[in-house]
Amino acid sequence: MIKSIDILNYLSENNFELSTGVPCSYFKELLIELDKSADIQYIAATREDEAVGIACGYYLGKKNCFLIIQNSGLATIGDAFTSLAQLYEIPLLIFVSYRGLEPDKNFPEHVIMGNVTETVLDAYGIPYWNMKGEDWKKILDKALERMNEDSSVVCILVEKGVII
Amino acid sequence: MRGEEVIASLKEFISDDTLIVSSNGNVSRQAYNFLPQPQVYLRGSMGLPMSIGLGLALAQPEKQVLVITGDGNFLMGLSSMTTIGNYKPANLKIIILDNAIYATTGGQETVSSTVDYLKLLEGFGIQHYGSLNSIKSPSKLLEAFEILLTSKQTAVLHIKLEEDIKNLENIPWQPKKIKNKFMEKI
Repeated sequence: MIKSIDILNYLSENNFELSTGVPCSYFKELLIELDKSADIQYIAATREDEAVGIACGYYLGKKNCFLIIQNSGLATIGDAFTSLAQLYEIPLLIFVSYRGLEPDKNFPEHVIMGNVTETVLDAYGIPYWNMKGEDWKKILDKALERMNEDSSVVCILVEKGVII
Repeated sequence: MRGEEVIASLKEFISDDTLIVSSNGNVSRQAYNFLPQPQVYLRGSMGLPMSIGLGLALAQPEKQVLVITGDGNFLMGLSSMTTIGNYKPANLKIIILDNAIYATTGGQETVSSTVDYLKLLEGFGIQHYGSLNSIKSPSKLLEAFEILLTSKQTAVLHIKLEEDIKNLENIPWQPKKIKNKFMEKI
């Protein structure tokens, strides 16, 4: 389990000043902590592709923004990836809740996307990491390194209960 | 008045501190051809110019951010106007060029003519907005630009255009070059 405040401190140290997205219950604590944060502002977007637009605009203004979304948003977001973030080679860090696995077995609305989440990211050509345990900083280091080196979109998958 | 004439007449209002986001298709081509370069010329991501403008305005609060979008693009990204209405960055200005068609793809009708833009913008919580249903004289247009761009708050100007399906040549810059040139100027 990873404390929300530790993640936000890490992101703040890595020069992120803004965040945006559409909530998932898996990120409830993280969003509460963000609301209290003096270092990172959160913009409540109406759609995940809009959130990509906000983050890309922020980057063009020479500042860094990360996204927090549910994996269902990976279906909404496609054109914002392929014809904006990826096309213009804009680095973008996205936390994606991994819905539709075992804890969601009674939520059929998540199961289909849960089954194809990694396939979808592979299809977009987006590198991703499943952030689970104590080595979370190493995973984020690796993701940010890849994001900056390739000016690419990178996703961090987050399963239920991982961020508290 | 046609879209390219409207965009060309914006020129005198654009300084080095104006950052323009222009929507994909003919609008960005007109911005490329008739306004000082470089700016953000969108090649795709239909529906997102307002969101990109919002992000840019938040990152560069000392600069004026001007989004120029067609009506099809604006309507696709309509929900992002609620976000803008909520956060209201004072340095964000939006011009909607409404020819009621998808001009770049051959002039198919949009549903824009059904919209009452003044009511819509008021409903989004935008406090400073205007609409020109016809441009009676170039001086009226310049006056409207002046009001928009000197506004101390988020402001939106809707302009009804003549239909015009003449398309300009593709922008020769590759997307990465657009990004790099734009970021160099900030």
